[in-house]
Amino acid sequence: MSAQHSQAPDKATIELKGVRKSFGSVDVIHDLDLKIAGGEFIVFVGPSGCGKSTLLRMIAGLEEVTDGDILIAGRDVTDLDPAKRGIAMVFQSYALYPHMSVRENLAFGLEIARTSAAEIKRQVEAAAEILKIGPLLDRRPGQLSGGQRQRVAIGRAIVRKPLVFLFDEPLSNLDAELRVSMRVEIARLHRELGNTMIYVTHDQTEAMTLADRIVVLRDGRIEQVGSPREVYENPANLFVAGFIGSPRMNIIDGICLAANRLSIAGTEIELDRPLPAAPQEAIKLGIRPEHWLITDKQADALPAQVEFAEYLGSTQYVHCRLANGELVTIEQRGGTDAKPGERLWLNCHQAALKIFSMSGEARRRVPAPIE
Amino acid sequence: MSNRKAATARRRLFAVTRYHAIGLFISLLFIAPIAWSALVSFKPSSEAARPPLPPWPVEGFSTQSYENLAKYGVGIWTYAGNSLTVAAATVVVTVIISLLAGYGFSRFNFPLKNLLFVLIISTVMIPFQSILTPLFLILTKLGLQNTLPGIVLIYVTLHLPFSIFMMRNAFDAVPKEIEDAARVDGASVLLMLRRVMLPLVLPGVATVAIFAFLASWNEFLAALILLTDQKKYTLPVMMAAVRSGQFGSIDWGAVQSGVMLMMAPCLALFLLLQGYYIRGLTAGAVK
Ligand SMILES: Nc1ncnc2c1ncn2[C@@H]1O[C@H](COP(=O)(O)OP(=O)(O)O)[C@@H](O)[C@H]1O
Ligand SMILES: [Mg+2]
Repeated sequence: MSAQHSQAPDKATIELKGVRKSFGSVDVIHDLDLKIAGGEFIVFVGPSGCGKSTLLRMIAGLEEVTDGDILIAGRDVTDLDPAKRGIAMVFQSYALYPHMSVRENLAFGLEIARTSAAEIKRQVEAAAEILKIGPLLDRRPGQLSGGQRQRVAIGRAIVRKPLVFLFDEPLSNLDAELRVSMRVEIARLHRELGNTMIYVTHDQTEAMTLADRIVVLRDGRIEQVGSPREVYENPANLFVAGFIGSPRMNIIDGICLAANRLSIAGTEIELDRPLPAAPQEAIKLGIRPEHWLITDKQADALPAQVEFAEYLGSTQYVHCRLANGELVTIEQRGGTDAKPGERLWLNCHQAALKIFSMSGEARRRVPAPIE
Repeated sequence: MSNRKAATARRRLFAVTRYHAIGLFISLLFIAPIAWSALVSFKPSSEAARPPLPPWPVEGFSTQSYENLAKYGVGIWTYAGNSLTVAAATVVVTVIISLLAGYGFSRFNFPLKNLLFVLIISTVMIPFQSILTPLFLILTKLGLQNTLPGIVLIYVTLHLPFSIFMMRNAFDAVPKEIEDAARVDGASVLLMLRRVMLPLVLPGVATVAIFAFLASWNEFLAALILLTDQKKYTLPVMMAAVRSGQFGSIDWGAVQSGVMLMMAPCLALFLLLQGYYIRGLTAGAVK
């Protein structure tokens, strides 16, 4: 107990070994393995209903594990109560106790652990200091704004001095502006406390900005684990490619003609490096919106027609239709306004072109030949 | 200009006056019988027995009716004590059982849960007079006929369906994540129920308590049939005895003072808990 509540907690590793979860006959988490290093900020992302919350709640001990083991700081906690795992959790709905003042909310866990009154007071005030909620301590949650409630919920987690912080979509009930500032706050909290943190979100910006490593989930399986840069630049498959990045990566059909010749939407393109595909093989190509170039050079370029454009100030998203009817999105910085119906030529940064097999896995490409 | 302003003011005055006049009239309608009883209860016995106009005492205030009532049978305090014991025990037992059952129905999943719930609720449709004889026989078998615990058991049984329904709704309105937060904070199930859930379902508890209290305090038929010993009578049974009179003469003053006596705790309880009670009945209506 004392080690767990020491001032500077050891950075706890987390290990999931063959973890499964089913609700009745429905399998929600399938045989999942994951190792999290001490002090890491891990973000679970995935579409709604993919099992992010369930997985987090299993780590918290709020949901029973159907099969497999969960280790926190090397200790098997699979059958342990949530309170004994050295975790603290921040919920999407804040889940503050409505009938208690902010101070009582923060103190509740310590009180149950029979901490002395003086110690409780000290810790509550320390947490209030970190989160700047000192003036709110005697109010009820009902008298607070959404952002203040979320601070209190985070404060309640801090006073537990946990090894691991678990966040379940903590910002999704806040308005856009508040979300940005709370995001920065959570990043600061991680820097200051240095604890291992697991953060569930379906918001990409939160995932990209907060994470040391992102875990992309789909239907209770891990699709890819990697740093935000790895996941963005080298998606393991079409799902990750489509899920990470906004606007979405353009996925278009292509046919490999020869080692470095490719046919897209009826146009043949010469590549500067060999394709990881067999001749005549159909493949999927992934091109991020920012990797298109609008050119007037017609060689190795795709003809397209502008459908509509979205002007966002610093950038412009141009939605175009290719010759074969596929819709692609182009991110353009500067340049003139694209008008609907206008014809233009598209080229892409060849280094950024992603190749996927028809079944969806990414194919690694050999680096460009050194000239 | 000023003319129009004056017209507006006049119209508003009229509207306010009409609003209060109608309100006053309706209040009087409701208060009149209570006031009548109260006034008659303070007439001397001889005057109370005469035709009731005017309703107020003309021969001076007197507490004679209350004194007569107090001396009735084995003494009013025995009956009031019986009634209070029965009502309080009914409230306590009903609240405890419906709290736990409501929590179970709201939070746990078990086979045939919904069927069981519907079964419990559907017992409301059985007129209880129709099962009075079997109930009497069961209590006799248990050796509980003509005892206060026996009558408490019957009252609790009658109130449970409504109470469980109320408490299930009350628990349903509390988000599951609050409970999860308490578990992460280390609260055991009982501690969590007591420190976190109970305060949040208090409006529901108040509603259940008021209903259980009023119904068991006023219940007559079951008490009349099941309680045979005069010392065990509850107030409604005693009142029936008072009303049927001794040697053919009915002491109307005593009847009215009994009415006042029986009404007092109901009014007090309702006024005390009305805030909770209204919140309890409308719980979940606005989310
Ligand atoms: N208590 C439960 N009983 C049955 N199914 C559940 C329960 N909780 C979650 N599920 C199911 O598990 C799946 C994953 O849910 P969840 O983890 O909440 O998804 P996410 O948080 O990624 O949106 C969903 O299909 C959901 O319907
Ligand atoms: Mg979720």
